[in-house]
Amino acid sequence: MRAWKAAALLNLALLLGVGWGYVFWGARTARLEQELRAARGAAAAGVERLWQVAGVVRAIVPEINVLVITHEDIPGYMPAMTMGFRASAPKIHEAVAVGDAVRFTLQGVPPNVVITAIEKTR
Amino acid sequence: MRWAHLALSVLLVGTAVSILLAGRSDRPTALGWETRMLDACRGLVVLAFAAGVAVLLLQTALLEGRRAAALDPGALRRVLLETRGGHVWLVRHGLLLLLAAFLAVPLDVRRRVDWRAARGETALLGLAALGAGAAAGHAAALPGALAAIATDTVHVLAAGAWVGGLLPLALLLRRAGRAEGADARPLAVLAARRFSRLALACVLALVASGSVIAWAQVGSVAGLVGTAYGRLLLGKLALLAPILALAALNRRRHLPALGGEALRVGRPAMRRLARFVAGEAALALAVLGLAATMGFTPPAAHAEPDWPFAFRLSLETLADAPARAARALVGSQVLVLGAVAALAALVVRRARWPLLGGALVVLGAGAAIALPPLAIDAYPTTYVRPAVPYQAASIVAGAARYREHCAVCHGPTGAGDGPGGLRLARPPADLRAPHTGQHTAGDLFWWITRGIPRAGMPAFGATLAAEERWDVINYVRALSAAHAARNMGPTVEPDRAWLVAPDFAYAVGPTPARTLKDYRGRRVVLLTLYALPGSRPRLAQLADLYGSLTALGAEVVAVPTDAAPDALRRLGAAPRILFPVVTEGAADIVAAYRMLAAAPHAELLIDRQGYVRAIGRGAGLAAAEPNALLAEIQELNAEKVPAPAPEEHVH
Repeated sequence: MRAWKAAALLNLALLLGVGWGYVFWGARTARLEQELRAARGAAAAGVERLWQVAGVVRAIVPEINVLVITHEDIPGYMPAMTMGFRASAPKIHEAVAVGDAVRFTLQGVPPNVVITAIEKTR
Repeated sequence: MRWAHLALSVLLVGTAVSILLAGRSDRPTALGWETRMLDACRGLVVLAFAAGVAVLLLQTALLEGRRAAALDPGALRRVLLETRGGHVWLVRHGLLLLLAAFLAVPLDVRRRVDWRAARGETALLGLAALGAGAAAGHAAALPGALAAIATDTVHVLAAGAWVGGLLPLALLLRRAGRAEGADARPLAVLAARRFSRLALACVLALVASGSVIAWAQVGSVAGLVGTAYGRLLLGKLALLAPILALAALNRRRHLPALGGEALRVGRPAMRRLARFVAGEAALALAVLGLAATMGFTPPAAHAEPDWPFAFRLSLETLADAPARAARALVGSQVLVLGAVAALAALVVRRARWPLLGGALVVLGAGAAIALPPLAIDAYPTTYVRPAVPYQAASIVAGAARYREHCAVCHGPTGAGDGPGGLRLARPPADLRAPHTGQHTAGDLFWWITRGIPRAGMPAFGATLAAEERWDVINYVRALSAAHAARNMGPTVEPDRAWLVAPDFAYAVGPTPARTLKDYRGRRVVLLTLYALPGSRPRLAQLADLYGSLTALGAEVVAVPTDAAPDALRRLGAAPRILFPVVTEGAADIVAAYRMLAAAPHAELLIDRQGYVRAIGRGAGLAAAEPNALLAEIQELNAEKVPAPAPEEHVH
């Protein structure tokens, strides 16, 4: 075989190798990303979920049956923040007052979740 | 071992490139050299591969932390398949194997195109195997790794082509310089000329890429002279100087003589050039040794610099000393004059040497005039970064240590008026004075650790742990800041950010702890220290404004000055206060920020870079007119060029 052919073949093989590796890694990354997205999607929507969350009551708005709570992380749903949650029954807020440290049960299909129970922790 | 691997790889690349440079020839001596070089290539591939394997074994033992791991197949597999360095190792040694196989196959290279393809392929594979190593070096750890890796690749390839090519070239020149090798002289002359051009290009590429890498990995004078990495770099530069001098001599003196009359001029010149080039090669191999050591030394930017001189230069010494400033100004003008003369010496050919000598004298004189006023005392720890960040908790801890050990002489407020200081020969320093800006945190650390014997300051290295000493430094910094903050009012001064807000950590109820720094680059923070019941109207006002404040990108953090854990309950249900009210960590925040704003109710407006921009004492920022607060925040939002975020250390 002529030497230039050998060199050309070798370079072709190298190029193919690099190209294959690029495509392979690209495909793998894409697959992993898709799986991640699928897993997140499954966690976020469709299924009824239930959490026990600790927090502090910041405000009570009885007219619209809402409690504003500064709460810890809600795994798979939202990070720690201050936000309003609806209560499942109008009487629920009567057990607590502004400033109380509480533990509450959050139930529902995200994003339609309601407080089904709440109790003071100290 | 790393050095051996690097040197062998570089020699391999250089040899392959220099064969390519010399070009094809049918003369027996040239053919003999080429065969020798090809044999050398084969040997070098095998040796480089072996050295690479040894490096891998050593690296594995190092990573696993036990010697036996070097021969443990499981550990080797982990290193090869699960680390970036392992992947790069596989690619590089795959390429080396391919090169070995390619060199082992006897190829017919009588035709020009075949010769070019075969030798070109050798060089290509060698360059690829060498260059790929950059992907596993320090560059890969930098932000924007791709550009850094590319720079590193350029650096190592240029070094390979230049340094590695020196030795083969010297051998060719030696052969051609002998009487019996006269037939190869034209080839050798051609090769030397081409190599000289390539070397110039390589050196330029090396200097350019080297500067970029040094900027990223060293980044400061302290890093250059104070760390192992920086000193290795200086060593490299020191070795490079004689190499470049030799190269310049060869290029100017010996290269033109090569083509001269054979017996008297050409041949002796060629033999001399061969010796000089070999000398260059020996020095260059030493440089490679330093480069290999730098490969596993932590970069200067990540190491604590150990300042080697008793002084440093700082423009801040000129701040309030007009005589010194004048002298420095005159000196700098003399320096400019010297620089102009030096440039002229480079351009004007006739009077070059006297001109250059004069320029050096002027430069020396300029430095002698300008630099002494800039010099201030420095210590080994001058550029050490504080081990404890400037945080409220550290300031509070430092305050306790300060009252215990320092207040006796420096006074309770740092004014230098303590009772213990009266009998000292030199009065204790006023820690609030602006001159503290001239001293780095590292300077203070040195004084606290070792004392200042001639001024009667005792050493606390034995009494206080290193962290406690940093706490004291943070407290002193806060004292100085408090003194300077006296004049800060409730309105924002545009584009004047100088008062760094001490960081702090806090939590509201059961939420995970947050820090002031979390808001950096994202939100303006209105830190409100409140006391009930006096602050209630203002809090109601803020609660009312909260929607507008958030819309403008501001967050309110309210801190109860009594640090009550049930602060939320005490605030009550009306009005609805929805901004964070600190229930954990309040005590430290109050203690630290009361130094800046001593009032029952105080508000500090902290911009997105972490600087305090306005302080309201008493009624609060613009209490009368609620919209004024929104206007101040608008002012911060409208700032075109935000000040750089403060560094962790004092300056």
